[in-house]
Amino acid sequence: MWKTYAYIISFLILPGTSTIMAQIQPEDSVLIPLKIRAGIEVSGPIIYLTGKNNLSTEGYISVDLNEKLCLYAGVGYSKFKYSQYNYSYQNKGIFFKTGIDINLLKPEISMGKYWAGIGLRYGLSAYNSETPSFWYRNYWGTVTSSLGPSARMGHFLEFSPGVRAELFRNFSIGWSVSLRRLIYSGTNKDLSPIYFPGYGNGAKPFSTGISYFLVFNIPFKKIKVEIKKEIPEEVEETTETEERTSVTNK
Amino acid sequence: MRSVKTYITGAIFAWILIAMVSCTPGSCFEETNAFIKASFYRNDVRKLQPPDSLTLFGLEMDTNRIYNKASNVQPALLPLDADTTSCTFIIRINGITDTMTFWYSSYPHLVSMECGYTFYHQLIEKPSVTDNIIDSVNIGNRNISTLNVENIRIYY
Repeated sequence: MWKTYAYIISFLILPGTSTIMAQIQPEDSVLIPLKIRAGIEVSGPIIYLTGKNNLSTEGYISVDLNEKLCLYAGVGYSKFKYSQYNYSYQNKGIFFKTGIDINLLKPEISMGKYWAGIGLRYGLSAYNSETPSFWYRNYWGTVTSSLGPSARMGHFLEFSPGVRAELFRNFSIGWSVSLRRLIYSGTNKDLSPIYFPGYGNGAKPFSTGISYFLVFNIPFKKIKVEIKKEIPEEVEETTETEERTSVTNK
Repeated sequence: MRSVKTYITGAIFAWILIAMVSCTPGSCFEETNAFIKASFYRNDVRKLQPPDSLTLFGLEMDTNRIYNKASNVQPALLPLDADTTSCTFIIRINGITDTMTFWYSSYPHLVSMECGYTFYHQLIEKPSVTDNIIDSVNIGNRNISTLNVENIRIYY
């Protein structure tokens, strides 16, 4: 639910950004500041501080290549504990992500301050998991067992659409939805990790998530980007001319 | 400007949907028991045919019968004991009794986060069977899992 609150906050902020964008005057070119960004994911620690057992933290650095593309490198740590009536499970580990962010906004709208686009990432996780106890019951009775600690590595792909807006000078907030595809969980299919750092439920081939970021920006260069002017559609003009001609003939 | 709002609105709906799904408590709907799936075949015609009456229970488990004079059982589901490496069943087909002993290895398998763990098995060798009514038992698939796959054929 904390993530939903975070969504509400960002939703309140975003309409303000559209007003700012509407004030941009049309020009032939715009100066776009390229930036180095350092971001931290905030919902994971907040959820942990509210008394949940599970901690997931993540941070990243990204560098603009141009007004559209940005190189991304992230790192995170997670600690996960889960128990229910028939088993208990724990997992902790780190993960790395690397990839690119693509800004889908036009330069004259984004101005280096606003971002709405997609992130394409590769993730690598190293973790330690353990099932301290589980039990299983069938016709012959109940069997109690455990799975000892084991260190594993696995990897996944991530598609991450989202938005980001500069609130103050060199400070932005943003959120993104993550859609992930597991490539390899580090185990055989019988003992998939119940939690996979940076990914989620390792027993499923796909996972989803939401991240909410605070981002510090450091401009390092400005580039001039030409604005593509929209060409009026010729078809409509032709139709109007034909209509006028027919009216004149009448 | 309209396209920006479209992106944002779409993302917001996706977020709400995901948040709703992720907040739903999980329940276990999957099969959690791995059984030997045994199909019955008439030996004279070598065709699939369930016995008119089937009684099945584990050795020294007479009071807890898996099937008790059941009809039209096809396939029969035989549970294995994950705590041991062999299981003996008493099987009564049309009133005539035989015994079947299976040798196997067991290993844990995660069904899902919601369901937890079960045990899968692998048959090590051909089961030992008495021949009062059963002619033979053939192994089709040695891997005993929750999948709906025929493991053995019982010819009677």
